Amino acid sequence: MFTKPIHTKLLYLAILAAALLLPWYVPDAYIFQIVTMSVLYAIAASGMNLILGFTGQVTLAHGAFFGMGAYGVAIMTKAGIVFWLALPVSALIAAFIGLLIGLPTLRTRGAYFAIVTLCFGVIVWIVSGNWIELTGGHNGIFGIPRPSPIPVPFFGQIEFFTQTGMYYLALAVLLLVLFALYRLVYSVFGLTFMAVRNNEPLADSVGINTYATKLVSFVAGCFIAGLAGGMYAAMMGAVSPSAAGYMLTFNFLIFVILGGMATLPGPVVGAFAIPVLMEFMQFLDDYRMLIFGALLIMVIIYFPMGLVGGLRRLNQKVAAWRQQKFPESDHASR
Amino acid sequence: MDLFLQQVFNGIMFGSTYAIVALGLTLVMGILNIPNFAHGHLYMLGGYLLFFFASTIGLGYWLGMIVSVAAMGVVGVIMERIVYRPLNDQPHINAFIAAVGSLLFLESFALVVWGSQGLRIPNPHPQIIEIMGITMSIQRLLVIFGAIALILGLHLFMKKTILGITIEAVAQNREGAMLTGINVNRVSSMTFAISAGTAAVAASLLTPIFMLSPSMGAILGMKAFVIVILGGMGSIPGAIFGGFLLGLIEALGGGYISAAYKDVFAFGALILILSIKPTGLFGQKEV
Amino acid sequence: MKRMKRFSLSMVLALVTLAFFCTGAWAEQVTIGFTGPLSGPGSGYGRDNLNGLKMAVQDVNEQGGITIDGTNYTFEMQSYDDMIDPSAAVNNARRLRSREGARVIFNPVFNTIAPLMEINEQKGSEFLMMAYSSTPKIDELDNDLTASIPPPFTAYVKAFSDIAWEKGWRKAAMVVTLGAYGDEWREAFRHHWESLGGEVTADKPANYYTETDFSSQISAALATDPDFLLIGGPSEPTGLVIEQARNLGFEGGFILVDQAKMDYIADVVFDGDLSLMNNVIGIAQVLDVPSPAVKDFNKRYEEQFEVHNTFEAMLNYSALNIVFDAMEEAGTVTDPAAIKAAMSKVLPQNAENVPTPYLGMLETKLLVPATAGVIEDGEYAKAYQYLWWPEDEEALEKYKEMAPSGIENRWLPLDGYTTD
Repeated sequence: MFTKPIHTKLLYLAILAAALLLPWYVPDAYIFQIVTMSVLYAIAASGMNLILGFTGQVTLAHGAFFGMGAYGVAIMTKAGIVFWLALPVSALIAAFIGLLIGLPTLRTRGAYFAIVTLCFGVIVWIVSGNWIELTGGHNGIFGIPRPSPIPVPFFGQIEFFTQTGMYYLALAVLLLVLFALYRLVYSVFGLTFMAVRNNEPLADSVGINTYATKLVSFVAGCFIAGLAGGMYAAMMGAVSPSAAGYMLTFNFLIFVILGGMATLPGPVVGAFAIPVLMEFMQFLDDYRMLIFGALLIMVIIYFPMGLVGGLRRLNQKVAAWRQQKFPESDHASR
Repeated sequence: MDLFLQQVFNGIMFGSTYAIVALGLTLVMGILNIPNFAHGHLYMLGGYLLFFFASTIGLGYWLGMIVSVAAMGVVGVIMERIVYRPLNDQPHINAFIAAVGSLLFLESFALVVWGSQGLRIPNPHPQIIEIMGITMSIQRLLVIFGAIALILGLHLFMKKTILGITIEAVAQNREGAMLTGINVNRVSSMTFAISAGTAAVAASLLTPIFMLSPSMGAILGMKAFVIVILGGMGSIPGAIFGGFLLGLIEALGGGYISAAYKDVFAFGALILILSIKPTGLFGQKEV
Repeated sequence: MKRMKRFSLSMVLALVTLAFFCTGAWAEQVTIGFTGPLSGPGSGYGRDNLNGLKMAVQDVNEQGGITIDGTNYTFEMQSYDDMIDPSAAVNNARRLRSREGARVIFNPVFNTIAPLMEINEQKGSEFLMMAYSSTPKIDELDNDLTASIPPPFTAYVKAFSDIAWEKGWRKAAMVVTLGAYGDEWREAFRHHWESLGGEVTADKPANYYTETDFSSQISAALATDPDFLLIGGPSEPTGLVIEQARNLGFEGGFILVDQAKMDYIADVVFDGDLSLMNNVIGIAQVLDVPSPAVKDFNKRYEEQFEVHNTFEAMLNYSALNIVFDAMEEAGTVTDPAAIKAAMSKVLPQNAENVPTPYLGMLETKLLVPATAGVIEDGEYAKAYQYLWWPEDEEALEKYKEMAPSGIENRWLPLDGYTTD
């Protein structure tokens, strides 16, 4: 059921090769910057997709957990802890707070859960701007050190002062996250996520502990958001409350939905397509957000399943058309 | 004591705006199941339309208010038709994204048309009176009484007119209402018109005290959302009670405890309440 | 329905094609970059900054640009919206630097300046960071390719306190905006006011960017019976605070933090009526700035942009003129380090040419007097020019000579900023 036709695999391989070789052909620092940020956003959006797409819980606190990762790394590395320890610890903190928040709020459903998490997100945002001793207030934390170089035998060491170093780091984490999600979602345990999404009472009645399932998914998603946030801090060198803001949550939400909910490539596609589109539309000046808002509405009306969903549908149609036209050649290729 | 009463007055004044803004939203969310996150931006647009009709065209405050409320009704109908109706059969989250798109659109529309510099509608009732040590301006009193009048009017409309009863019927059972021959699409349009109209009323009452800016609807819209959820989706008493509760929490929390964290109290209270009662204060138990 | 679908789809297609045609870059001019909030909260402030820069570019081009080694250069202003989002600001700066070749980039918010200062010294993509931010935190980031444009806000803290103390005000209550800038102002003011011997009776911050009703904070502050309120954030809501406080029966004075402008409030919020604004101390009205260039600048500015003139516009205008002069002096339009190094050589500026002439430079700080004004008896009563950097009397006299005349000069050395 989940095996893919050969040409999809080829496509993924081509994209992977293109991603690995990117620093050799990227035209300038600007494009490089956008791509690197998109890789980061793709990580965070994939985490949100686990909660939103696969488990069906509309979380609007994802930016807050991203922010916890960012502030965690910022505070710890400024205190002298190496990045390589600070990053996983920050993500674990985000996951732990996710657990604490998920315990009471996952009792609510649908729009209620969305708003409870939105409120939590806003609270984290306000606290990050006002807890001056910890977060530096609205000025935030700046002068965050870059990750320390990793020594590689026979090769020298990998530095992170350049865009290239940070890009590969982000890409490695993205691939890791996608791989983990792939294994998780297509496992038996992963199927329970989708059972909860599709029909919670039914899932309950066949013996799935829906509450625990939702909690696991939520905490895992928060952990991934924390990872992305931690790398954001190291990459930008400065963190301010906007890194924990609810606008960030809405951005992730748009990436997931427009990219294609409940598909693994969807959020990644969204995280690349939307920022690139936004940058491309810069020349519109004052009219940029006007047109972006209108585009958002149109895309959601015409591509309700997101870009990936739309492509898959198109693919199916083409396949059906082919089958109709050349039934025997389709046979032959099997 | 004076200070306490003053803060209660401030809370009631703000609560009454919250109540009417949330009222419009709860109709749309409860009856049509549309998470219209752009509701606060309809409020903003209502304020700018009042400015346009009252100051730019020169109709004066009261006439300008009537025209802008009617115009916002039309905007509501258009929004339902163009943005939300095509999304009827899609998951709610898609309508939410469309709402985010709409709010971006409306905000930059105001920015493009009216600019970023704050605009002001001359206050028609700037007089100040003092009762029991509480200072209040006539316009602020007008906000409170205007809100009460609107709430009563809406109640009568829902209970006494055919259209109101039809709307309630759709809210209770969409398919059933369709079977009895009710034109659900028409009801949707009407509900949106009323919802946008109430937002314009709130804006008309408030903007003479304040100033217009393109981003003024964002936070109010979010609070309206919180109130609707707090009261229970689709519950009119819930929206009114939630509105006043939030207004009082903010005024007293901001005045006495910490102004920086006053939104934390309000939003924290919501998390707490929903953790105990997952469908809101006045919400029906979900099946 | 189907027809509508087809229609809107074709609209999208048309828009996208149009977009492709419009992006082609041309012109061999020198690009000056700007990234800042042009939409959302703070957009008014961002636009004030940008307008001043646009005007400077326009003026220099009208005079035929600058000439270096016989080559003539004209300028072009390129601006992008970052909505105070650090990652958007970095994207914009990268774009300005590597796509449009900008070597000088302006930004008006510390939250976005800090990440830009992480990348402006990277080899091969250096640019001169022109920071419009009055926080001393900029100096904590050791960065050679930065120049900060406004006076440090602590100069205003001291100047306004000085005037208030003279007026006999003693008890202060604070209803200042939340946010990085407001938080620092409150802290600095409390510290300074208490060291003078004054008292701070209440501290009730409010978010001027998202709220419009401040009556609960003002009521609480007024309950402590203060002589004056320290208020401020963006100008429009600050005007509302004044009105709401007066409506609550407050008859004392106000100090406006330097982000709020008294003339802007009077003209935009109160339609030119000063009756509610008696006893207001704050940054002086733009027309009280003594330089001869102000009146003309003011008139042209308000005609062109149809908004009120502000210090943000004037200081950015003057600062960009330093950049033009420094490019000529350094003989390069592409080497940010050389341009930065040449800046101090082209100062002081001539008060005939720019509305707020800069008088010198100290490390990253461009030196310009802090101008304070008072509204009394329904009119702009007094204005002072505070020189905050001279170390001693001798240096003071030297800078007094340079400063435009026609306004009372006052000396107010600031710790950490003094120079001779």
